[in-house]
Amino acid sequence: MKKMKDSRTSTIVLHNVLIAVLAVIWLVPIVWLLCTSFSAYSGMNTSTFFPEQWSAINYVKLFQPDSVSQFPRWFLNTFVIACFTCVISTMFVLMVAYATSMMRFPSRKPLMNIAVILNLFPGMLAMIAMYFTLKTFNLTNSYAGLIMVYSASSGLGYLIAKGFFDTVPRALCESARIDGCSEARIFFQMVLPLSQPIIVYTVISSFLVPWMDFVYAKMILNAGISSQYTVAVGLYQMLDRSLINNYFTQFCAGGVLVSIPISILFVIMQKFYVEGVTGGAVKG
Amino acid sequence: MKQDNLSAEMTSGGFFSDFCRAVTKGDLFVKLSMLWMGAGYARRKQYIKAALMTLFEIAVIVFTVQFAMEYVPKFGGLGSVMPEKTFNIETMKNEFNDYDNSFQILLFSLFSFVVWITAAAVWMYNMVSVYRLQLMEEAGVRIRTFKEDLISFKEEKFHITLLALPVLGVVIFTVVPILLLILVAFTNYDQNHMPPGGLFTWVGFQNFISLFGGGGLTVSFGYAFVRVLGWTLVWAFFATITTYIGGIVLSLLLNSKKTRAPRLWRTLFIATIAVPQFVSLLLVRNFFANGGIVNTICANIGLTDFLRNIGLVSTSYIPFLSAPGWAHVMIILINIWIGVPYQMLIATGVLMNLPTEQLESARVDGANKFQIFQKITMPYMLFVTGPALVTDFVKNINNFNVIYLLTENVYTTTNQVMANSQAKEVDLLVTWLFRLTQDYYNYKMASAIGIIVFIICAVFTLIAFNRMIKGDKEGTYQ
Repeated sequence: MKKMKDSRTSTIVLHNVLIAVLAVIWLVPIVWLLCTSFSAYSGMNTSTFFPEQWSAINYVKLFQPDSVSQFPRWFLNTFVIACFTCVISTMFVLMVAYATSMMRFPSRKPLMNIAVILNLFPGMLAMIAMYFTLKTFNLTNSYAGLIMVYSASSGLGYLIAKGFFDTVPRALCESARIDGCSEARIFFQMVLPLSQPIIVYTVISSFLVPWMDFVYAKMILNAGISSQYTVAVGLYQMLDRSLINNYFTQFCAGGVLVSIPISILFVIMQKFYVEGVTGGAVKG
Repeated sequence: MKQDNLSAEMTSGGFFSDFCRAVTKGDLFVKLSMLWMGAGYARRKQYIKAALMTLFEIAVIVFTVQFAMEYVPKFGGLGSVMPEKTFNIETMKNEFNDYDNSFQILLFSLFSFVVWITAAAVWMYNMVSVYRLQLMEEAGVRIRTFKEDLISFKEEKFHITLLALPVLGVVIFTVVPILLLILVAFTNYDQNHMPPGGLFTWVGFQNFISLFGGGGLTVSFGYAFVRVLGWTLVWAFFATITTYIGGIVLSLLLNSKKTRAPRLWRTLFIATIAVPQFVSLLLVRNFFANGGIVNTICANIGLTDFLRNIGLVSTSYIPFLSAPGWAHVMIILINIWIGVPYQMLIATGVLMNLPTEQLESARVDGANKFQIFQKITMPYMLFVTGPALVTDFVKNINNFNVIYLLTENVYTTTNQVMANSQAKEVDLLVTWLFRLTQDYYNYKMASAIGIIVFIICAVFTLIAFNRMIKGDKEGTYQ
């Protein structure tokens, strides 16, 4: 009897050790990021894993803008773009999701099929043409152009929200309709209040797009004016071959600073994602 | 009752037969609406609508005369007048002649076509609704006022209100650009034919022929295309499978009853994906750089010497991301690092909803853990996540971030034929087309590649979905 219990504890220990080893592997680069950001040296530490001299100088430098690094400015730029993107995208996504989920009209199926086909085109392909279109209308190197790129086509990403609306009991809306409630009132006063998890999810995920994106920002803001950059483009520029030896640790510090709010939002979003999608979809 | 009959009569056929009936059976004013779009409305005393339609018609005509006519007639040859600089004595400045810009001709012609197609649809819709008004009048049904028509946009026509802006956004920022680049794929738009300095023109299927290895001088493109396509498919396959299986395994590990503090572990793993990719990938790329920290450690513990002795490495460092083979394996491994926690989250969500009765009864019947996993957990997972697996594969074919951030400026190809086509061994089709446009202005080939990528994704998705999804499950949970 005692022997059996022993083997159980040993498997439990083994099991947890295995997870711990995996976690360590997964966290090594993140720990390196943190450590390097506190290095006193400005280039890459190639000889030791931990910096030889610790210092918070990189964080101080981040808030003393020079011609290359203008972190506070980048942060503000990205924040403004993210706010606009967030409002427009959330509206678009919820509107399309509600219309395709709760309403029945002749062009519904064809529209949804077209959306599926459009989603198969590589975004990069549309992006290049979009760049030219924006250039023709003088919208490159402007935030308006970037916001449009992020949010104009966001209606195509309606499927998750639609999946949630599909789980809202149909009878509820039917009875409201019979009571003479207008579709607009059903949308604003019945379905939206019921859909808090998916709204939070949509808000956060569209807010995160400009923070996470790199390609589109690099393509649109290509004039090389540092004060116009978003965080992603700015930090990427720091790793340019001619700059990396002076700015690598600042890049790490900037990476840490930008990761903190994003991580918090991301974790909140995941919670609502699980609540909204898996929790909602398998009610039956 | 009458209203029902009316609508039954009107919607018995499709939109086109409605339109034909309107044209043939309509009265004088309905027929007049073909020329003056407001005529039918004016006859039924709907003056506001009549005015709006007239305004719309005038706007389309003005657009056509003032704007479209400047570009559309040149669409066939994409312009012929080259820019020429002449010195104007009077203003003492260099002045350009009224030259053609092929790209503007292409873009604005396309724009005009879209406007015209929309206008034609509105025109046909107008005929149908004017004829409906005629029928309603003949049947003695009260015709709705303009105000009531407006109100209907938050009632039974609410979907139009909801969809108008998003659809407009998609048309302008996705559909038009895609159509534009499809057209570019059939032109010779490249560095030697760059507007405004030069003109480009239609070349038919020439770009596709050189992509598939034809066309003499451009044989290298065919070679590079096959290599890049091969790696794209290999990458998409391994990237999807490894993260999928890794995600399930990690999720099972974390959700096992034996795990102590599962939430802590889960948060640790999520932390790695919450860091934006441009930070984490750029970091990892320097982590594994030729003179980076990992190489120093490997040299110190003698791994580099060992690998050199067995012939895997010929340099004084391990070329993690800078030599073919090594880079390919490393990219897939780093992608596991990026992708597994994400898949773990999804798998956790699915596993939490496992049908517990089935698991319980299987356990009672004496099935062991492996049997349960094989016969119940795995089929259920595949059923629920199957469609996601397909979309993941397509996403990985287009996974720009991982490849670009890890290899740009780090990996240089030594293969001369690849270099001639501006490709690298580690390129995906999308990163290749990005480089072709950004650094080499080779828009014609980039567009052709883009179309090929789309065809691959579309064919794969269609086949996979047809096999996997039986019937429409949309209403199951409603």
